[in-house]
Amino acid sequence: MKRCLIYIDDINIQNSIDLLEVARQVYGDDTYETIGVNFNCNSKASMGAFDKIVQVMHPEIKIYDPVAITEVMAELQIKNSFNSILIPATPFGRILAPRLAMRLKTGLVADVTAISRKKDKLEVIRPAFSGRIMAGITCMSDGPLMMSIRQGVFNYEGDKSKPTEIINYEPKNFKDGHINCLYKKEKEQTYDIRESDVLVSGGGGVIRSFHYLKQLADKLDGQVSASRKIVDKGLASRNIQVGQSGKTVSPKLYIALGINGAMQHVEGLKQVENIISVNINSSAPICSLSDIVVEGDAMTFIEKLVEKIEETS
Amino acid sequence: MKLICLVKYVPDVDNFKYDYENNVLIRENVRLLLNPDDACAVAFALRVKARHPETLIEVVTMAPTTVKPHMEDLLRIGIDRGTIISDRLYAGSDTYATSIVLARYISSQIYNIILTGTHAIDGDTAHIPSQIGACLNLNQMSNIVRIDEEQFSETSAIFDVETENAVVTYEMALPSILSITRESKYKLPYVSRKDMERNVSEAINIVTNKDLAFEPEEVGLKGSLTKVISTYTKEFDKKNRIVVKADDEGIDLVYKYLKDKGFI
Repeated sequence: MKRCLIYIDDINIQNSIDLLEVARQVYGDDTYETIGVNFNCNSKASMGAFDKIVQVMHPEIKIYDPVAITEVMAELQIKNSFNSILIPATPFGRILAPRLAMRLKTGLVADVTAISRKKDKLEVIRPAFSGRIMAGITCMSDGPLMMSIRQGVFNYEGDKSKPTEIINYEPKNFKDGHINCLYKKEKEQTYDIRESDVLVSGGGGVIRSFHYLKQLADKLDGQVSASRKIVDKGLASRNIQVGQSGKTVSPKLYIALGINGAMQHVEGLKQVENIISVNINSSAPICSLSDIVVEGDAMTFIEKLVEKIEETS
Repeated sequence: MKLICLVKYVPDVDNFKYDYENNVLIRENVRLLLNPDDACAVAFALRVKARHPETLIEVVTMAPTTVKPHMEDLLRIGIDRGTIISDRLYAGSDTYATSIVLARYISSQIYNIILTGTHAIDGDTAHIPSQIGACLNLNQMSNIVRIDEEQFSETSAIFDVETENAVVTYEMALPSILSITRESKYKLPYVSRKDMERNVSEAINIVTNKDLAFEPEEVGLKGSLTKVISTYTKEFDKKNRIVVKADDEGIDLVYKYLKDKGFI
């Protein structure tokens, strides 16, 4: 039986549960077992989804210390010879995964967005060149198959009522990375574009009128999001960026204003039910993905549509 | 104090061209630039040097020797040594093989800290800094937006890391690897007019496999543990789109669509 170890990042546990879908795609009809591992936290939120959970408890381990966490993960791997290790590509996961891969002398594929099989050979897909092309990658090492997986791309809909076995684990070796957290300042919580049903999104074509987007978003009970061009200009925070270097979103309605829709942007749109794009160039890439293409000025579109909604309400 | 900055020269992805017929990247005449995150790391090192003039900065890159003019520009703004690790044997190295090459060179040097960028805009795996950390037994942290210059010493650093919903301040013992992001807004100065023609070739240090002595199967394509087997652009489902103008008729249609779907 194949065994797959999944790192549970307690910043967003659902993220790690969704990696069960990656395991399912990797192993298909083979029998396999999933083992979650978490550090100094209880396993309540992940009960039922994994077959087993290894609960690592150690008073000296700091959950933000890459050295300490890598050492324990390596110890687990050496003892158990898992066939694969999956790590969510959270900020910490993207530090942990390469460090662990090097420690285990095994290949790692970063920021995986799809799994494909070609004649029984597994091909792991990831974006490259800031999302402008996709690369299919194969691992050649004897060690476990290791991947970090892009957040928000896979979605686990399988069994969540498994009789999860909890294994308390006290690591033998402890290595201190000599790092201390001095303080943490929470950012002002605005909104999470990943949770919005309606996104009104602006790109390079609305640099001058980006702040008007909120008017339309308000009328549709939605939120404003942006492409990289807007964020790079400093007009919006990276928190609301859609695309390869931003977030992957799945709203019911996406209104793209002045967005060209290069692959690295479209990469951030997953299962969007309805797309309306407004662009002076109706052959922009985003237009071929749209249900309605409005050829024209985004500002005029906002004004007229807001007016129309106000008139009729 | 000695600072090592690890950098990568990357193709300008905003102006890159793709040959859709043959499904390959057009690499000819692609302009190279210093990876933006890495430029911030060098810029921070220069700020330390401005405060403590006795500081030595060495910039290390693994690249073809054609990046020499770029490296000379860094020397002209105050870097003390520019090391280019270059050997045919290393061509095609994945992040694993690249890390062991860089780590072997760095392990022969004396230093207090290694500064790097977080992401490179071409590969974008962000593997190298933490993999080198594993090789050299150093801790490493990414996504750094600020390093406290006043508290920066030979033995410890205090820095801010930006995550999705918080800014976290850490203290870390040195030597270690700190990986900065372009959100830090550390900016490289321009080469001053008087330095433009300055001869800096003596400060360029070319390192080859004669120095590092890897076996051919340890590095390059042979030593890599991952392999790119295909590249393609993603196909998206095209829809039967309706094209309208941003006039009354067009707006009516959009309005009706939104109403029918329950958005209004």
